[in-house]
Amino acid sequence: MNARARLLTFLFACAGLGPAVVVLILHLPRFGAHALPYGDLINDSAPRERHVANAVSAVNFDYRGIDTLGEEFMLLCAVTGVVVLLRSKRGERVDAPAGRVEGRSLRPRSDAVSGVTRLLAPVTALFGLTVALHGMTTPGGGFQGGVIVASAISMVFVGEGYRSWRKCAPSVAFDATEGAGAALYALCGFASLLAGLPFLTNVLPLGTLRHVFSGGLMLIENAGVTLAVAGGFTVLFGEFLEETRVETRDDES
Amino acid sequence: MRILMTLLLLLAAAGGTAVVLTRSPRRQVFAMAANGLILALLFETLQAPDVALAEIVIGAVALPLMFLVILASARMDRAPRRPDGGR
Repeated sequence: MNARARLLTFLFACAGLGPAVVVLILHLPRFGAHALPYGDLINDSAPRERHVANAVSAVNFDYRGIDTLGEEFMLLCAVTGVVVLLRSKRGERVDAPAGRVEGRSLRPRSDAVSGVTRLLAPVTALFGLTVALHGMTTPGGGFQGGVIVASAISMVFVGEGYRSWRKCAPSVAFDATEGAGAALYALCGFASLLAGLPFLTNVLPLGTLRHVFSGGLMLIENAGVTLAVAGGFTVLFGEFLEETRVETRDDES
Repeated sequence: MRILMTLLLLLAAAGGTAVVLTRSPRRQVFAMAANGLILALLFETLQAPDVALAEIVIGAVALPLMFLVILASARMDRAPRRPDGGR
């Protein structure tokens, strides 16, 4: 398609869609005003019924806990897919040197980078755990905290290089973490089935509002999500970073 | 509050346009990460801190990292897969 035909198509589409967009914008609700009762309802009932200050967590882990179970297995499937596609082509060996772009000089890693990442990686991991642990009281929770922990592990790659990072994040351990986290979440659902209640019913004592350990079963589900996301993203980053090392003879076996 | 919101909405529009108009893939990745941070600030201003956190970790960390790795992998001069050089 040449430039002229493309411009004509664009103008044609504009003539059709433009008035519709204008009409829609004129009929939008006032900024900040919404007509949906669900949010207000949850804000009102979550602290009362579930003893949880963060209404978003109450929705994620309790009111719509089954959706999060689905998301958990979606992540598991996505990570498994990446591992199957990339690792089967590349082989299991992890001791090859990092690859390089031809014609670009290899500079040694500066002490400043190593120093900063050595300071920041543990602090970041701790911050991730804090965000995950306080999911019931403050914004955040298992998903966000888990990704922060995974990025802290990836910082080792930046600061210490490929070999140390491989030692620090053995993929077997994080494969297991990912699976165990998803399993823990699913088992939470079966726990309530054993008690003769519907799937994912909150069977544990709910605790006190605004306390770190409030929310009952949601805490265990949150821990499961933290494990699954931290493990899943570490494996994901690992598989992608592995793509940048030199290919060895036994690859594509 | 109104000024801050207007400013952030304009910044988000500018950031999105910058991502589209950047031609070099490597620069585009950084433009996308910056746009992710702007969006996170916007969500925070709209009182959605959970969404803001998710936007930071996905839009500004995980996604750019993957794009950078793919770009690096594509540019890398790597040994042929088999000794005879065939693929």
